[in-house]
Amino acid sequence: MAALPRRIIKETQRLMQEPVPGISAVPDDSNARYFHVIVTGPEDSPFEGGLFKLELFLPEDYPMSAPKVRFITKIYHPNIDRLGRICLDILKDKWSPALQIRTVLLSIQALLSAPNPDDPLANDVAELWKVNESEAIRNAKEWTRRYAMDN
Amino acid sequence: MEMSLKTNERVQEELEALEAILMDDISISYNERGCPELIKTTIFPSTANEVDKQYVCVTLEVKLPEEYPDCEPLVQLRNPRGLDDSTINHLYKSIKDKCAENVGQPVIFELIDLIRENLTESNLPTCQCAVCLYGFSEGDSFTKTQCFHYFHSYCLANHLSITKRHFQEEQDKLPAWQKSTKGFQATCPVCREMIECDIDELKTAHPPKELESAQKFEVTNDLRLLQERMRQLFSYQKSKGGIIDIEAEENKLLLITQSSEETASSESTEDPGPSLSNLNDPVLENGVLKKSQRCDVKMNSSDR
Ligand SMILES: [Zn+2]
Ligand SMILES: [Zn+2]
Repeated sequence: MAALPRRIIKETQRLMQEPVPGISAVPDDSNARYFHVIVTGPEDSPFEGGLFKLELFLPEDYPMSAPKVRFITKIYHPNIDRLGRICLDILKDKWSPALQIRTVLLSIQALLSAPNPDDPLANDVAELWKVNESEAIRNAKEWTRRYAMDN
Repeated sequence: MEMSLKTNERVQEELEALEAILMDDISISYNERGCPELIKTTIFPSTANEVDKQYVCVTLEVKLPEEYPDCEPLVQLRNPRGLDDSTINHLYKSIKDKCAENVGQPVIFELIDLIRENLTESNLPTCQCAVCLYGFSEGDSFTKTQCFHYFHSYCLANHLSITKRHFQEEQDKLPAWQKSTKGFQATCPVCREMIECDIDELKTAHPPKELESAQKFEVTNDLRLLQERMRQLFSYQKSKGGIIDIEAEENKLLLITQSSEETASSESTEDPGPSLSNLNDPVLENGVLKKSQRCDVKMNSSDR
């Protein structure tokens, strides 16, 4: 099988040695291209207090192609659909090999702080976010409390 | 009053001298009262005007408080290129010392000189290549873009061949009238500025040395603990119904798609989705790896 690119090794080491606050990413035991991720809900956002599990996979031609990332924990957010898929430009056409696992996860954390209902992925959520923001935020808090807690 | 007039004259003299030496390479902005406020200049190493041998640069910004030169100016280094954090920190320290030594006298030219000297000494990129994340070693073939970003020629070639291929694939999908007439335009991976490069020439470069001799990856105890923590959180959230059930959601989507097709056939729900364009990728199914995939790559299979 193909050797693991050294860039991936270097990123993994740095993620371990200098973790980003509020984010942890650990490679899977048997596939070093597959990362288990926890993103902490940012303060002053409806996701505050939640721990969100994500999965991140580095495709064969990473870093030339973007990582594939999705939420595993349910989340009520206009830019994240029911399957956990994320609407974020740097994961699509704005990807550049100068970005890293850590920058991707930081952008996702920033997306939790600043939902953007005008560029929706989850249509019903985005709709409510636009017509009745306070109810949408209540829902997001409720989902966080119900699904994204730790024991 | 007399004091401030004198101060002003001293500053004016200093700035006139700077403009005479640097000409268009310096910009001075004045506040509404006509006092000079901010001085900006981009500094390069001295390489006897051989511009393509200048591998580093930095922009110096000096703010002048009203009391200057009888107090220290406020100095900022912006847009460093080819310089790593430790070089910049070292520069800041020397700048601070120089300013402290020179209170009461004009110091801007001294600062420019000091920075230029430092840049000349470290006129080899000390930053990392943003593509492979390794540094530049003696003998590595590297490329400086017009925007002053650095890449191993080998890494830049990789990036450009792949983005060119992606561009071609996208073009092939488009109907003739939508195709780009311009052809592929290479861009810098860091700042996305357009760059001019000869991909075929870059491709002939050898892989970077540090990359070749990089350490292997080792599974540490910390890593095992974190893995364990991930597993615990997953099971806890699963027990609370907090984990997305991909299969169930996909079936729901299918139902919605079918019923909306019946009512409004014009509306396409065939959106492949933004990030995981290929959600059926077995690797990501239900957040669990399939057996066959799990054993493909071993942590320390990186040594050749
Ligand atoms: Zn490189
Ligand atoms: Zn650039």
